[in-house]
Amino acid sequence: MIVRGACAALLVLALTTPAGAHKLVEPGSPEKVADGAFRATSGTTWNRLQQSEGKYQEVWTIDGHKLNRLAFYGGVPAGKPLVKERDKKRDPLPKVTESMLLPDVPNLVERTYRTQYDIPIFNIGKQEPATLGGKEGIRFEYTYVDPGDEVERRGEAYAAIEGGKLYLVTFEAPSLHYFARDAAEVRSIVKSVTLRP
Amino acid sequence: MNRPLLAAAGALLISTGAAAKEQPLPPFTLGYEPQTVDERGMWSEADEWEKSVKSSTLRVDDEGLNAYVREVLCKTVGTDRCDGVRVYVLNIPAFNATMSPNGMMMVWTGLLLRARSEAELGAVLGHEFAHFELRHSLKGFQARRSASDVLAWTQVLGNALQVDTRNSQFSLIGSLFRFNREQEKEADLLGLDYLAQSKYPSRSASEVWQHLMEEADATATGRKIKKRHRYRAGFFDTHPTELDRADYLLEQSMAKGDTGDAGAASYYAALSPWLPKLLEDQVRLNDFAGTEYLLNSIAATTGWTGELLQARAELFATRGNPRDLITATTLYLNAIDVGHSRPATMRGLGLSLVKSGKRSEGAEYLRKYLEAEPGAPDASLIRMYVPDERTAK
Ligand SMILES: [Zn+2]
Repeated sequence: MIVRGACAALLVLALTTPAGAHKLVEPGSPEKVADGAFRATSGTTWNRLQQSEGKYQEVWTIDGHKLNRLAFYGGVPAGKPLVKERDKKRDPLPKVTESMLLPDVPNLVERTYRTQYDIPIFNIGKQEPATLGGKEGIRFEYTYVDPGDEVERRGEAYAAIEGGKLYLVTFEAPSLHYFARDAAEVRSIVKSVTLRP
Repeated sequence: MNRPLLAAAGALLISTGAAAKEQPLPPFTLGYEPQTVDERGMWSEADEWEKSVKSSTLRVDDEGLNAYVREVLCKTVGTDRCDGVRVYVLNIPAFNATMSPNGMMMVWTGLLLRARSEAELGAVLGHEFAHFELRHSLKGFQARRSASDVLAWTQVLGNALQVDTRNSQFSLIGSLFRFNREQEKEADLLGLDYLAQSKYPSRSASEVWQHLMEEADATATGRKIKKRHRYRAGFFDTHPTELDRADYLLEQSMAKGDTGDAGAASYYAALSPWLPKLLEDQVRLNDFAGTEYLLNSIAATTGWTGELLQARAELFATRGNPRDLITATTLYLNAIDVGHSRPATMRGLGLSLVKSGKRSEGAEYLRKYLEAEPGAPDASLIRMYVPDERTAK
């Protein structure tokens, strides 16, 4: 009941967002993403959120970021967090480290979410080898609960560490309905991704 | 039994408090019924809210843990009083407990990790229960959904870090209710009466606040920011300061002069099945120094158990500076030495070694991890770091 109510409310928000607030990502042609750290090609039209959390991140959505959120984190170097800290001193975020291995990436995402978004429940699921932009990488699944709406969201992420920098693509949507609806489109975008040479 | 309190309609029993010693507790009405329109409205809203809490994704769906917390409440306030209370443990790694006017008590897992004895847990639960018994939520007109202390308990960290914790997302689920300073002190003092009458020592109430201040100081030091504890509340403060509370609770407890077993050993014994999960959540909060403080404080009672060594190893491993990896490796090995050889220990140790450049030694432990848990959700990923496994695949 909570889930349905919250989704309805979110849908209203998403629909009332002025069209001019986002730049569109048109399907079929490679787009520069996250300041050129990636190139990616979509199969449908996405909205590029104008507001990003820091210079390494770019977020795409179809219906609003609470319903489907595809985030790219491009070339995050050692010593930097995934996103800009909301308060560097009081809520510092975990940083990418030089010694970081692929199995550490899910934990970095979890710790970032717990601090930046006050997520109390975050569960990491399947983690397996994968490629991102032709590089050896990791694919992992997770779920989390945002206490703001108590909706459970499902996540699927791909990451690679290249030249000492972390490249990460995450997709999140409510576990009910939305995740399954857009998963195939997201996987095809991930397949199209190339990293900045 | 959705509404035990309402179900007991009309049964207005007056309890004198079991075998009251020197200072009898105030009379308590069992099966209390809301009396006024305001109160009935508040109760039915709280009942509605309770339904959503029951099915909430945040709830810890573990009967044993919920029952244990309730048991500590009952031992603190007495079984007659706790009869009408339903306890719900919520999976939120921050220090808080709340109580709604209909008898629904919510306890966050972060409180369970921070209490150091049944008496300290009882002190917090007793304080919440005191708001309920004194019907504070009715007296304050700001009541909207539930009587809660989200501000009280998060204020400590907020003060030390000078953060406005009211903006925290956690406060959304906490409550929309704020008590005033006089009510807080009243609840503190009645809570102290419960403890004094119980088998627990009332001195533990002051210790709760002392420990919270110490943790906040540790966090602040770790983050290189100013510590701040004031002795007296300012004009606009809704709560007494934590220092003030630690002080008057100790003074009152000395006046009572009661003693008792705080139940530290029994507390950690009861908590042990859930402790690894509570520690894991804490470690992932990215509060290195605050977590170190908590681990040390638990170890002061239980000694450095395998679980604590493992948690401390993870703390260093996740920070991941070159020196941290040496510490992490050592701590994992120490955990194994005390008989804590969980698959997660093998995994953590193996990865720490690989990161330190000791690939073949690391691979040995990762192989042990895969042997222990061949179906692990990350098995195929970990095989990448075990050379012969990789080629065999
Ligand atoms: Zn209170």
